[in-house]
Amino acid sequence: MEYGTKILALFRSKKTIYASIVIALVAALPVVVRSPFIVGQVFTLMLVFAIYASSWNLLAYSGQGSLGHAAFLGIGGFASSLLALRTGMPPIVGLILGGFVSAAIGFLIGLACVRLKAWFLAMVTFGFSVIIVTIMIQYDSVFGGVVGFPTIPIASQVFPFPFFYATLAITVVSILAIVLIMKSKFGLAFKAIRENELEAKMSGINAAKYRLIAFVISTFFAGLAGGLYAQTTLFIQNSIFEASNSFLPLIMSVIGGLSTIEGPIIGSVIIVSINSFLPLTDKYLQPLSPLFPGVSNVGPPLRLLGLGIFLILVVIFLPKGVISLLHKGYDYLRSEPTKTVKSNGKA
Amino acid sequence: MRKYLKLSPMITSSGLEQAFLFGVANGCIYILLATGLNLIFGVMKLVNFAHGQLLMVGAFITYEVTTLAGLNPYLAILVAMGSVALIGMGMEKFAFSRIRGTEKLNEIFISLGLIYVFENLATLLWVNNYNIRIPSPLGGLSVAVGEVTIGYDRLVAMGIVIVILVGLVFLTKRTKIGLAMRATSQKTDAAKLMGINVDRVYLFTFAIGAALAGASGALYGILNPFYPTIGALPTIKAFAIIILGGLGSIPGAVVGGLLYGIAENMTSYIVGGGTWQDAIAFILLIAVLVVKPTGIFGEKGE
Repeated sequence: MEYGTKILALFRSKKTIYASIVIALVAALPVVVRSPFIVGQVFTLMLVFAIYASSWNLLAYSGQGSLGHAAFLGIGGFASSLLALRTGMPPIVGLILGGFVSAAIGFLIGLACVRLKAWFLAMVTFGFSVIIVTIMIQYDSVFGGVVGFPTIPIASQVFPFPFFYATLAITVVSILAIVLIMKSKFGLAFKAIRENELEAKMSGINAAKYRLIAFVISTFFAGLAGGLYAQTTLFIQNSIFEASNSFLPLIMSVIGGLSTIEGPIIGSVIIVSINSFLPLTDKYLQPLSPLFPGVSNVGPPLRLLGLGIFLILVVIFLPKGVISLLHKGYDYLRSEPTKTVKSNGKA
Repeated sequence: MRKYLKLSPMITSSGLEQAFLFGVANGCIYILLATGLNLIFGVMKLVNFAHGQLLMVGAFITYEVTTLAGLNPYLAILVAMGSVALIGMGMEKFAFSRIRGTEKLNEIFISLGLIYVFENLATLLWVNNYNIRIPSPLGGLSVAVGEVTIGYDRLVAMGIVIVILVGLVFLTKRTKIGLAMRATSQKTDAAKLMGINVDRVYLFTFAIGAALAGASGALYGILNPFYPTIGALPTIKAFAIIILGGLGSIPGAVVGGLLYGIAENMTSYIVGGGTWQDAIAFILLIAVLVVKPTGIFGEKGE
């Protein structure tokens, strides 16, 4: 099928209708929930991480697992914030330029990475995120990331939440772009390389080239998410590069459903909810404190411990992520009548 | 904070010698870790990214046994090796064996889950003990080698590493289980046909690899201060060593480990230590991989 007709078919399909309903519901949320914390921080952060996790997922879609994506999140965040701060350009332009800066550096790192096996690639990307922190500290007079600085806001974060809607629009466009890439010739090549690199090469796919393309696209969206992240928190410092920020998109994609479009989005909703709302229940964990005398607040380590166990369980028992449960549920609902007929026939 | 990269004001030959010796001693600890990682990879074709966390657990177990039971830390290494081997077997049995034969990326995901589990359990249990060291009866004693001095602890650590490595070579080359391990490593299907219980070989391999990590943790804790999140960097250093020395090769890991330890300490001495020390490891690693994606001594293919 031609790409054009394929895309037209995609737009006519039921999935587009469902996606539109979801977007409309999300857009209606701030009208119902008016809390500046929940809309301005939690919901917006979900959208930002949906882009970030989708960018990681696109890379994994081409068979490359990055353990250092926080480097690109941070580059995008710092580039967009510094551009807006130093040159006085509108922050929204800085945001997009931040994505391009991140993609440019991603291109250079990608050149080194595309020929590597999965575990080497994971190590090199992780190593790069450590090197970049060293550079940031050494040239702190340029970047100012050790103490950090406030970012220039694009739009207000209070009612009627213009920043939330701006983020929503950017998220929808970004994810739509990622979907179109996944459904295109590029996406097919990525998938072929992931499934069997040798066969892909034999079919005439230049594996290194397509991996590099995936790397550049992925780092562009990671940088864009970084700029939005700095906008959401209204502050940026070197902590954006920390390892947990590299692991989060991986955890989100895997828990949601690897190599699917919905997976990283659902993963982002789950993980951001956990990180935002579970701390509120920390006080109920106080009875556990005597068991661990050294720890002032048992909440954070227990949550992270739970997250680790959850991740392992998902990889073992739900290799296609939480999304596969939804699909199963949907199929079950649709096929129920025929099932009952079958069982009746047997009985 | 220093703004510019400056050379230390005084680089002396005795200082370089000192850095060299320290590098050899640190290299020995990394060799143990890298050999364990390499053994597991060689036999099982599996990369355990949570290997450095086993080092951390080994260090804390040695600390507990030494301070609570009053055991000599060098005897406590055996306890650490045994208990970390059990933990390693648990990891293999309950996590890694479940995803065998599935996508390669799953190993990374499982390892990441294990890293979260180990680091946060350790934080819950031991966060009070930040930057502790295992008390050693030889602490503070040192011997002069030419112009420089080296602590007895470092010398004993090197000796222990040599003993363990000799034992490992004996195990793989001279025993029946070693033969089974080598057979499994070369051709898993053929090994199965020859009546080797591959799952048990895997379990045993993981136990040995984890025990090596436990021993390296004990030695690390005697020579360096440690804390619950210490594990990530040693994993990466072990990785850099394996990449230098080639995947799956034990002699390669020994050479790589020594080279790496010496390079790390010498550069940190020349550059003036601090922030660049860890970054240099990665710059080296990335440079090697760009030039030769399979590592310096790595064979083509894997």
